[in-house]
Amino acid sequence: MKQEAAWDAGDMGCGDLVLELRLKLKAMAPGAVLKVTATDPGAPEDLPAWCRLTGNPLVEARHPHYWIKRKDA
Amino acid sequence: MAGKFCVSLTHGKDDTDKATVAFVVANAAVASDKETLVFLSTEGVRLSQKGYADGIHEEGFAPLKELMDNFVKAGGTIWVCSPCFKKRKLDEGKLVGGATIVGGAKLVEFLSEGAPAITY
Repeated sequence: MKQEAAWDAGDMGCGDLVLELRLKLKAMAPGAVLKVTATDPGAPEDLPAWCRLTGNPLVEARHPHYWIKRKDA
Repeated sequence: MAGKFCVSLTHGKDDTDKATVAFVVANAAVASDKETLVFLSTEGVRLSQKGYADGIHEEGFAPLKELMDNFVKAGGTIWVCSPCFKKRKLDEGKLVGGATIVGGAKLVEFLSEGAPAITY
């Protein structure tokens, strides 16, 4: 079974969270999925918004876990 | 006329005049059929806590709690800056009605869709 890429962001939130997330996804291949764990109370609203803004699809969200697909280059 | 409108509020009891006027303007926007957001950040996030606005009553204006209640009843939205909220160790269980904790991307999305904004 393919190893799932995962990143535990802890309680990181707001600009710090999405800036780091952007770097993590950029380092991945297009189409790959990153499982993000983010406990920040703003994450349920913020991560879907970031995905809509950047075009990286949000595959699934079950706070504090979010599966985000790297968009095609 | 549809459209979005953002009122950014950075004060609570440290400037009750600004806090009050921000919600007066927000109520004017929501009454004008604008999809209206009040974004609370820095000291403004304290207004997200039940009971905090009680007793704030600027001369010549309605009490702040009444202004906030009317805003939410009219369909207005209150967003609360997550890092500002956490810094002040406020309580998620005591959020006023209509308030949601958000991070910066949510605000960026709202403003990027073409929302004018006024800051208090």
